[in-house]
Amino acid sequence: MNTNLKISNVTKIYPGCVANDDVSLEFNSGKIYALLGENGAGKSTLVKILSGVVIPDEGKIYLNKNILKLNSPSDAKKNDIGMVFQHFNLFETLSVFENLIIDSDEQRENLKEKIDTIMKKYNFSVDLDVPVLNLSAGQKQKVEIIRCLIRSPKVLIMDEPTSVLTEQETSELFLSLKKFSEEGILIIYITHKLKEVMQLCDEVAVMRRGKLVSVSQINNENIESLANKMVGQDLKTIKKKKENTSSEQLIIITNLNFTSEDPFETNLVDINFSLNRGECLGIAGISGNGQSELFQVLSGEIISNKNSIEFNKNFIGNLNPQERREYLMAFSPEDRLEQAAIPQMAIFENVALNNFKSSNFFNNGLINESKIKEHSKKIISEFNVNTDNIDLKSQFLSGGNLQKLIIGRELITSPDLLICFNPTWGLDVGAINYIHETLIKINEQNKSIILISTDTDELLKLSDKISVIHRGKLSKIMNAEDVTSEKLGILMGGGN
Amino acid sequence: MIVDVNFVGLIIASIMASAVPLILASCGELITERSGVLNLGVEGMMIIGAISGFALMTVTGSLIIAVFGAMLAGVLISTIFAFLTQTLITNHVATGLALTIFGIGISAMIGKNFVGIPGKEFPVLFEGLKDTIPLLSPILFGHSIVFYFAFALPFITSYFLKKTKIGLIVRAVGDSPESASNQGINVRFVRYACILYGGAMCGLAGAYLSMIYTPQWIENMTGGRGWIALALVVFSTWNPIKILIGAMIFGGLTIIQFHMQAIGVRIPVQFLTALPYIVTIIVLVVISRDSRKIRLSTPSSLGKSFHKDN
Repeated sequence: MNTNLKISNVTKIYPGCVANDDVSLEFNSGKIYALLGENGAGKSTLVKILSGVVIPDEGKIYLNKNILKLNSPSDAKKNDIGMVFQHFNLFETLSVFENLIIDSDEQRENLKEKIDTIMKKYNFSVDLDVPVLNLSAGQKQKVEIIRCLIRSPKVLIMDEPTSVLTEQETSELFLSLKKFSEEGILIIYITHKLKEVMQLCDEVAVMRRGKLVSVSQINNENIESLANKMVGQDLKTIKKKKENTSSEQLIIITNLNFTSEDPFETNLVDINFSLNRGECLGIAGISGNGQSELFQVLSGEIISNKNSIEFNKNFIGNLNPQERREYLMAFSPEDRLEQAAIPQMAIFENVALNNFKSSNFFNNGLINESKIKEHSKKIISEFNVNTDNIDLKSQFLSGGNLQKLIIGRELITSPDLLICFNPTWGLDVGAINYIHETLIKINEQNKSIILISTDTDELLKLSDKISVIHRGKLSKIMNAEDVTSEKLGILMGGGN
Repeated sequence: MIVDVNFVGLIIASIMASAVPLILASCGELITERSGVLNLGVEGMMIIGAISGFALMTVTGSLIIAVFGAMLAGVLISTIFAFLTQTLITNHVATGLALTIFGIGISAMIGKNFVGIPGKEFPVLFEGLKDTIPLLSPILFGHSIVFYFAFALPFITSYFLKKTKIGLIVRAVGDSPESASNQGINVRFVRYACILYGGAMCGLAGAYLSMIYTPQWIENMTGGRGWIALALVVFSTWNPIKILIGAMIFGGLTIIQFHMQAIGVRIPVQFLTALPYIVTIIVLVVISRDSRKIRLSTPSSLGKSFHKDN
């Protein structure tokens, strides 16, 4: 049976922002549809409307010509619309089976049988009795998909499903999605990754600033045309100039180990590497393989053995982040609003947190506000932070602006080494470009970078050397020219 | 020295009796906390239950009305907490503390007229079997129905949480209210229900104190048992069976230290009085050390307000 889903003149307004501005779209089963757009383009709002999480201010949804009333997620479920959210909607401490039975009306035995059939049919293997927090991101996603399939959905919506997956897991997912589509499930695929749209989808709808800008067949598009539609302007592509880097070693890590008391953290095992001045070392890996522990050990949030980190001919393994900063290291942590900045504090106060002996932000224990503000203004103008109000609480900055502020705060003191962790995570294309340009620029100034990232394209673009972290172990360091994303994918999955 | 086995049995029975209010209040609070709500008003809800039970018993003369009335009083006062924290999204900790202060104050006010009035005898079950088995008879027989209910409750609670659909939903809401809401579970409704249930159990615990354990009304007669019940929930890592163990240890040490004081053991009284608190917590910490299990049984959203945005 054919499924026809129609979105008609949907508008949703939030205070200060029109998330969806008169959007109309029509989908038919048998095809895979891409909904493409930058962060904040309104894709997520639209799919939340389709899944009953958000109620639109205006507009109607039709399924097979019948008007749908979607006032809650259970309404969407009742009408056979399945949704896999970007942030998994799973209960971490419950077992996989408990997660599945909780919204099913079926008896235990029947449900178990049904799950077994689904897993066999699509070649999924997930242990039903373990708690969800023990699963990898790819497995968690499979649980979400199984949860949808149990209800034999007519429509399956996938919101940015590959952001947490490896290359291999992504291609497995694509195979499954194609199979679902052949079986008559209408698939709507939300993403900002152009490559995936070209690979997977049949039709593509592009959104920008809450508006639908185009709907077209994939055959009529290419990556550049889609990128331009998505961003609304031509993007210049930046490329790293390959220059002769110096052979002077800046940082040497020797037998660095970290054993966590928390069983849900990853232990680091015998980390060894060195990095020259002017080089960028990329560290790839699927999230949760020890990246955050590695970042904390390198930044001094976790103190280690003094001799395990040699920086600029000093042994600094036992120093805390502030002391390491005095040795001209700088850090940009992954979680911008939890680790890098304090959301409730003003921009200038956040700047003052990065306090050096030489910066004179404090006199005899009193805050030297004018000095800090002057310094903050300098950062804002030098690093293109799009605000002129340094009294603004940092939580009100957009992700891109906040990241620019953080990178600026770290770089304005002109450190020898910047360690950053997923610096462009969740940013839009414009901000990503700016951050990438900045990182390339500091490499050119003979400064070094350790870039821990889960984005392989970013790593291949910026790194001189690349290593992969898997279960707390670092692979051997490779030259970036010799590495392909396929090879990285294999290493990230634990292969050789 | 010859120890009368029945005397040992009586001591054990008195230990169990002193554990009853702790078990009731803890098991109630456990359900509340498993849904992600931290209600620090246990002491307040218990004392309201105590005065309501005693007052209703005196006024109406009916024990049944008194017991259910005490539970209803617990429900009503916890409704205030539920309305504030779930509908008005106030802070759990501050609201819970206010509830305790409110409960102690209002119970003292109502209780003024009931000081010095003798309680009524509460009927016991299986009294005829009291002398049949040495040692076990005093433990097993001749107690009030609330006593038997209290010792069944940890097992019922455990079964409810592990084996029933509603128990699963309660755990799910405590784990991630956002996910639960996206799954179509009415988080606010579930949390209201859990708070009200917790209130009912605390009310019952209070009624047990004023009607059965020491049948009279004394101002502030819960004497910090609500706080111990709260501590039991946390230190048992939200496991009803461990609550039972903890409550027994606490009750046991309380009774034993009374006896030690009575026979004049040369240990400072202050130390003896403090002993139950310290030992209970140490024992529970030691038996709950597995950090994996702690992670799995701790309600991740405990004490965090959930506000569904639209």
